[in-house]
Amino acid sequence: MMIRRILIGFAGLLALASTPAAAVDVVATSPSMGALVKAVAGSRAKLTVLADQNRDLHGLQAKPTMMRALRGADLVVAVGAELEVGWLPVAIRGAANAKILPGSNGYFEAAAQVSLLDAGATANRALGDVHPLGNPHVNMDPVRMAAVARALAERLALLDAGGASQYRRGADAFAAHVDGRVGAWRGKLANAPGVVLYHRDAIYLLERFGVPLLGTIEPVPGVPPTGRQISTLTSQLKGRSGIVIHTPYQSSKAPGSLARGLGWRVVRLAMEPRKGADGNAYLDHIDRWVEVIASAK
Amino acid sequence: MQKFLWRGVVAGALLTPATPFAAGDPEIAELKSMLTAMKAEYEQRIQALEARLAEAEREAARQREEAAQSEPMTAAMVHPAPTARTAKAAGRFGALTSGNAFNPQISVILDGNYYHDGIDGEGAALVGEAFQPFGGGQDHDHEGEEDGHAHGLTSNGFNFRSAEIAFSATVDPYFDASLYLAIDGDGNVDLEEGWFQTRSLPYGLKVKAGKFLSDFGYINKQHPHQWDFVDQNLPYLNLLGDHGLQDTGVQVTWLPDLPVYTLLGLEALQGDQEVFGATLGDDEQAELNLRDTEDGPRLWTAFAKVSPDIGENHALQIGLSYAHNTQHQEVHRHEFGLEEDLHDHEEEYAYEEEHGHVEEHRHALLRNGLEGDADLWGVDVVYKYDADGAYGKGDFKLQAEYLRSIKDTKIRSANVIDEETGEILEAQSGLIGSTRKFTTDGLYVQAIYGFAPKWTAGLRYDALGLTNKVSGGESEDFGSSDRWTLDLTWNLSEFSRLRAQYAHSDILVSADERERFDAFYLQFLMSLGTHGAHVF
Repeated sequence: MMIRRILIGFAGLLALASTPAAAVDVVATSPSMGALVKAVAGSRAKLTVLADQNRDLHGLQAKPTMMRALRGADLVVAVGAELEVGWLPVAIRGAANAKILPGSNGYFEAAAQVSLLDAGATANRALGDVHPLGNPHVNMDPVRMAAVARALAERLALLDAGGASQYRRGADAFAAHVDGRVGAWRGKLANAPGVVLYHRDAIYLLERFGVPLLGTIEPVPGVPPTGRQISTLTSQLKGRSGIVIHTPYQSSKAPGSLARGLGWRVVRLAMEPRKGADGNAYLDHIDRWVEVIASAK
Repeated sequence: MQKFLWRGVVAGALLTPATPFAAGDPEIAELKSMLTAMKAEYEQRIQALEARLAEAEREAARQREEAAQSEPMTAAMVHPAPTARTAKAAGRFGALTSGNAFNPQISVILDGNYYHDGIDGEGAALVGEAFQPFGGGQDHDHEGEEDGHAHGLTSNGFNFRSAEIAFSATVDPYFDASLYLAIDGDGNVDLEEGWFQTRSLPYGLKVKAGKFLSDFGYINKQHPHQWDFVDQNLPYLNLLGDHGLQDTGVQVTWLPDLPVYTLLGLEALQGDQEVFGATLGDDEQAELNLRDTEDGPRLWTAFAKVSPDIGENHALQIGLSYAHNTQHQEVHRHEFGLEEDLHDHEEEYAYEEEHGHVEEHRHALLRNGLEGDADLWGVDVVYKYDADGAYGKGDFKLQAEYLRSIKDTKIRSANVIDEETGEILEAQSGLIGSTRKFTTDGLYVQAIYGFAPKWTAGLRYDALGLTNKVSGGESEDFGSSDRWTLDLTWNLSEFSRLRAQYAHSDILVSADERERFDAFYLQFLMSLGTHGAHVF
């Protein structure tokens, strides 16, 4: 009797797990990648986003719940270029799902679809946690993201031919929205004096609109600054105008003391939109960055 | 030198004419066909390369267009940046990686320490030799050359624990493979792991085979440099030995597609264990009337791990593990003076010490050979919180495991022997067939907290022998050993780590004797090569 009840419960669980709610099961590593999936596939994709808005995508750990999400996925959408190297390969391996192994149709890296900045750096860790492949943070460039959306639409079409036209329409609409805003962004940032970042993580946005990067708080990637380094930076930048921006997971101490020394504003801004963001929410997130950079005096 | 030359000439003269005569017609035909095959293969490769080159050229042209669209920076950068030229990797389906194209990813981890304890450096070994009623901790003779090697060999002062070299690669579409070698301070090389695992089985199934660390429990599959403390906890150290459940065999795991992460696994392993299911050498087996070592696999494990979703940035995993070794042998030696029955023991030793007339009193041993099987149960719980602080500030990890080992044996031989000659003086046949069931358990609880960016503090309590008893034909209870450990870790970068650790141990060394001591470690861990993974 008891056994039968357990079996029925078990069967119920299995049925629940395999109910086809959407045409494709997509797992995105970050909210910005999730936003892209939403923009391209809409409700045709069942979407799971692994990382939270305020976490460093480079420092996460592979959790069993991630493996659970990847277990039945048809497609994993990552920022790529080794940004998630510490956990995504482990999570994919743990998920025992051949469909999403790197090299197969079910594995998609945004960084592999566009050209990368900072590529070809010397592979020397005396220079910090460097990535010779190039800077992975392509999600900060809306124009590159439009190109990624188009590539993503093609990939989804490959996995789910029935939705091909919907995916292409979605990507085109996203690209049109980007185009619609680029002019305004360009105007606002035309005379921006420049930015000091904590890490070279927002350089794609700066490069896109020609905003100077005045310096980074970290002397080299992944290594926190010493007090002396901050005072050197302060004296180098004395007399210029600009703004200091750091993310929620970067210490606010050094950025604060630099900003005080220079009489600049320091702003804490997430690299990612909120979890659950769609295409428009992603563009609003870029809007916020543009507003902050433009506000520098 | 001249001699060497002569040898070369003679060897050359002997070998040169031999070769053509040795090769018969069929062999020549075979060589020819091999050559044609090689030629065809190279042609294919060249074609493939040409295709890739053409693709790369198209790609470069596309990129030039793309780069032209974006604007150059308008002001000079204050901080020198790596050359901001654009790059593109081949293949839009792959993962961009800086791992060498077809070579395995390689990493090297250097692990060394300064150690000091208050008992002349004995402490590091002693924590792995806590008293248990079965032979665990006692020095029974190993079959292999395990003695004197490995992680336990730490003395007061500087120690180089190991250099671990890891290679890993995807073999082909079907398999991944890894190799881990550990070189100790004396240059002895030990194969820690060498296995392959399937990549593309359906239904969430995976098969792994070779030599590997079992997925029994939680900490078992971690290499020493992944531990949150310098040394292993008491239950693993004493119930499983220095290397834990590290064995050769096959593992099958299944991750069913359920709403909650549930991993189920089975392993069949050879069973060559140091402590859990140890077998003796051939000579000793014959001498003690013990059976020959059975054909493998002798060690079987089963495990289940469940991880409910407890919200953003939190992770919880609960595991249950079981291991069974079908053969376990040990020898027990009880020492006593031969004339014990006739004289007062104490007096006799006093006499010996005063006069040094050792030869007058021959010493005898009661030597029992025991054989049976061994069971091990394990429960583990791990909770992690990932805070939004910089460089791990605010992160928290709680980890606890309970192990219970049961060795169910029968006495197969019991003799009083002369300690020096090994001659049997008296058979104690009354004891033969009597059961001896040894039960020892242990647990550890540890917490790690990131109290500042890049800094963590850890606290561990571990104990062995909450139950520490022998039952069956003879019944006796013994006490437990325990330890408190505190550590401070500085993660300078993702690739280097310095650690200070202090421990106070209270170790039961025999039925009625304890050793209490303090031990201090300073450890360095340096990671060279490929970016390591943050495994749960």
